[in-house]
Amino acid sequence: MSVVLSVQNLVQHFPIAGSRSVVQAVNNVSFTVARGETLSLVGESGSGKTTVGRCILGLIDPTGGDISFHGEKIGKKHNVRSRGLRGKIQLVFQEPAESLDPRIRIGVTIGEPLRSLGEKREDRNKRVREIARRVGLSEDALYQYPAELSAGQQQRVGIARAIITDPELIVLDEPTSALDPTARAEIIDLLIRLQKELNTAYLFISHDLSTVRYLSHRVAVMYLGMIVEQGSAQDIFSRPRHPYSIGLLSSVLLPNPNLERRSEVSLQGEIPSPIDLPEGCYLASRCPFVEAECNARMPDADDIGGGHLVHCFKHRNVIDEEKATLDYFERFQEEAEKLLISGH
Amino acid sequence: MAENSAAGTILNIEGLNVSYPVYETDPVRALRGIDLKVREGEIIGLVGESGSGKTTLARSIMQLISRPGRVDSGRIEYDGRDLATLGEEELRALRGNDIAMVIPNPRTELNPLVTVGMQIANVARYHLSLPRKEAKKMAMAMLEAVQIPDPTRRFKAYPHELSGGMAQRVVMAIALICSPRFIISDDATSGLDVTVQTQVLELLQDLVQQQGASMLFITRDIGITAHYCHQVAIIYAGEIVELASTQNFFDNPQHPYSVMLLSAFSHNPKLRGLWTKVVDAALEGAAESGCYFAARCVRASDKCRAEHPDMREMTDAHSVRCHHPVER
Repeated sequence: MSVVLSVQNLVQHFPIAGSRSVVQAVNNVSFTVARGETLSLVGESGSGKTTVGRCILGLIDPTGGDISFHGEKIGKKHNVRSRGLRGKIQLVFQEPAESLDPRIRIGVTIGEPLRSLGEKREDRNKRVREIARRVGLSEDALYQYPAELSAGQQQRVGIARAIITDPELIVLDEPTSALDPTARAEIIDLLIRLQKELNTAYLFISHDLSTVRYLSHRVAVMYLGMIVEQGSAQDIFSRPRHPYSIGLLSSVLLPNPNLERRSEVSLQGEIPSPIDLPEGCYLASRCPFVEAECNARMPDADDIGGGHLVHCFKHRNVIDEEKATLDYFERFQEEAEKLLISGH
Repeated sequence: MAENSAAGTILNIEGLNVSYPVYETDPVRALRGIDLKVREGEIIGLVGESGSGKTTLARSIMQLISRPGRVDSGRIEYDGRDLATLGEEELRALRGNDIAMVIPNPRTELNPLVTVGMQIANVARYHLSLPRKEAKKMAMAMLEAVQIPDPTRRFKAYPHELSGGMAQRVVMAIALICSPRFIISDDATSGLDVTVQTQVLELLQDLVQQQGASMLFITRDIGITAHYCHQVAIIYAGEIVELASTQNFFDNPQHPYSVMLLSAFSHNPKLRGLWTKVVDAALEGAAESGCYFAARCVRASDKCRAEHPDMREMTDAHSVRCHHPVER
């Protein structure tokens, strides 16, 4: 698979007004996304997921590190705005209603990205109709205003606007978190179908782990601006090795009272401030496996095989302790299927 | 989770109808005949999509339906008192003190010009008549209780300086500072990350258990109710369509709408398709006679379109409003 996006040692610090200290939003993040692949960035708010997305889109200049798109360095604002790159990387926003101009008709909104590519009006209109059909919007909807559509329909508009330029990479920043479960399921199906048809790479930023499990090929877990563990979705969800990943996964609430993933590994205490990060492992203050080494220096990535990287000195002990190797999400799906079939 | 059937009823809603008038057309009937009992020490989960009337129910309990919306009929009894008969003074003493509400969108509801610490302290000053210093101390303790990192610094922060999760905790601190007996949580955890959400839920659950308080937990996320509620109520188009103990509900959901909600979590589009009927949004509101869900229901018959179903008790602690409940 050809690599579309490669991020190497990305660092993003934000200065604090009136002080010499900085907020260390992203620390040494490295990953790649291949053609037709979905990489999900998961983590709590403030873990730097969105900042990584914004760096890739060229909305902010990274403090350090390299971002390359098809081997060509990008990541400085002017580079991303250069003509050759226009429309190649697109974005879908979290709040569909707030990302659409309330006074512009849907059809015009969808066609807007083509204007900066210099397409003629007739071509644009033809393309808008074609894309609208693709994402399941009716012809009538093109003449409506955002307020007349449901949230699910509005997000379809957001997706249509992103794919109209034939992007090679779409950054999806929490595209489903504002939606009802039924609308969410529809949008996820749509994203999966479009990816199969267009072979687009997705960088999916989300904290909804149930959706991430279903949609992603690979998952990267972020904590305080660094990726603590990354690997295939299967590996991360069934055999997580970093204590933080385990803590994160065990807090997902699936709609089945009989399935409770009570983990042996529990995270205590407070999240350190990103202004004043500890010397060693960022999780050291909350981790039950902590020892002297963890506080002294940051663990390097340990390659377990199959592209599964863990930043933890003690991950072998963790996996011994955590016997639940069964994929909790898969078990839920089986139970849910039984329930849905039995009543029909 | 243990059943609490012996305890007394703290909140009793009977036949509640609330509507919002619309210019030149029929009013929107936001709540249509809600019957709901909440017992002491019980957490009841109310699940519905946006627009189903969840927030209207929360606001009617608080007697905060804003004009021109109005309560057409029905009564809400809290601790044996009919809330509609209370005067504004009595209500004000009740709200925030006895009945507290944790609201969604914390950043729009907090006062942007007052530090969060003072906003928490003001509630204690007003309701508990504490002097300024004591109230501040209590507010600080509350900030610690809701596990805000670096509470001394956050005390002096303004709402815009906080992240969504922290603002939500501030709102919880405001709601919980007077140790209320009845808590309404209106989609309070929807904006939070999973680890934070679990902590916030555990916190709410602890409070309910420690103080014998009760909670109406309104949410769009049916997954939460499976783990934190004693009972589950499903609301659709302003009426409760299914009410059951959590275990009964998830073992055997009987209303087609409940099954449709659950199917949204299935990653199998075919199975989801069995329970989901794609309809035009315009058609949805049309059904005034018959079952309100008929247009979207995969099991709808002529009877459903003609005759409105009543709530029927199927088994112990499991009621459904449907002519053709799902059988397993």
